[in-house]
Amino acid sequence: MKFALYAAIFAVSLSHGAALAQNKLSRNEIVNSLQGAEVQATIHADDLRAQALQNIKQYPGENAKESIPLSAQLAKLRQFNVEIDFDFDSDRIRPQSYETIGLIADALHTPYLWGQKFFVVGHTDAKGKREYNLELSRKRAEAVREALVTTFRVPPEYLEAVGLGEEDLRDKADPDSAVNRRVQIINVGF
Amino acid sequence: MRRTTRILAAFSVAAGLGVGAASAETIGFAEAIKILGASCGADIEKYCKNVNLGGGRIQQCLVENEAKVSAQCKTDYAGVFALLQQRFAAQAAVEKVCNRDTQQYCKLTKPGKGNILKCLLKAEPSVSAKCNQAITDAGYR
Repeated sequence: MKFALYAAIFAVSLSHGAALAQNKLSRNEIVNSLQGAEVQATIHADDLRAQALQNIKQYPGENAKESIPLSAQLAKLRQFNVEIDFDFDSDRIRPQSYETIGLIADALHTPYLWGQKFFVVGHTDAKGKREYNLELSRKRAEAVREALVTTFRVPPEYLEAVGLGEEDLRDKADPDSAVNRRVQIINVGF
Repeated sequence: MRRTTRILAAFSVAAGLGVGAASAETIGFAEAIKILGASCGADIEKYCKNVNLGGGRIQQCLVENEAKVSAQCKTDYAGVFALLQQRFAAQAAVEKVCNRDTQQYCKLTKPGKGNILKCLLKAEPSVSAKCNQAITDAGYR
């Protein structure tokens, strides 16, 4: 099951591009990456979900030729990408990633982020079927959200889970690249 | 083990003051759950292979398999969830403990969006030791 391990390792980096792979992620880094939203929340999770499905219909084929229409708008929001290890082909979070989920919880509990709405967005690389990837990323995002709202009591009304599969790749030039596998936490505003 | 000592220390402090007391020493969620991964990771992979962290299911799985898990895991796991509870209790206590300080220093602050706490954080040098401690214990600083 070596492949399972490789498949589960995601790249870590901040939205502004600082490489963090070797450094330890801290609560304050997460807070700093996420705080400062002054926008009123205008993006709806349902629209993202619908656009991901529509993208598969509109641009069928092995890989997505276009990202979803809301991609550019999403990219402008306060956010960070995080590494979370899951079992292969599963939404089960591996124990070595519990601490990372705890850090996200520590950040979301600080007053600096209260009252703002966050999306937990799951992404895969382009290997495999697009519909399958969409569903897997949705389940993984749901698993992260569930741990945050139950184990760590992050207020559920401020957190939504969305799976975008391979419909919003980070590296379109290299669709199978590991950097595409990621969980994004996005501050969508007040 | 150092981490065991840490948990025991947190417990004894809590026991001395009453669990849930605002002044109980607490640790962050990441720090607490990290102990679970370190002490019980191997057991979780073995006995809770299809179980996810959320919904109390890992905790439940460890309870059910308590006879089988490693000594380290058995020693630590209940403590981890107790530490999370202590943090929740500390968070719940802040509003009341800081009520007087809020009236005194943040009277004009519009509540919501964490505004009162952000005001109290700014007013730290003036805020009472009790309220400052409660804010620290809640992980709000």
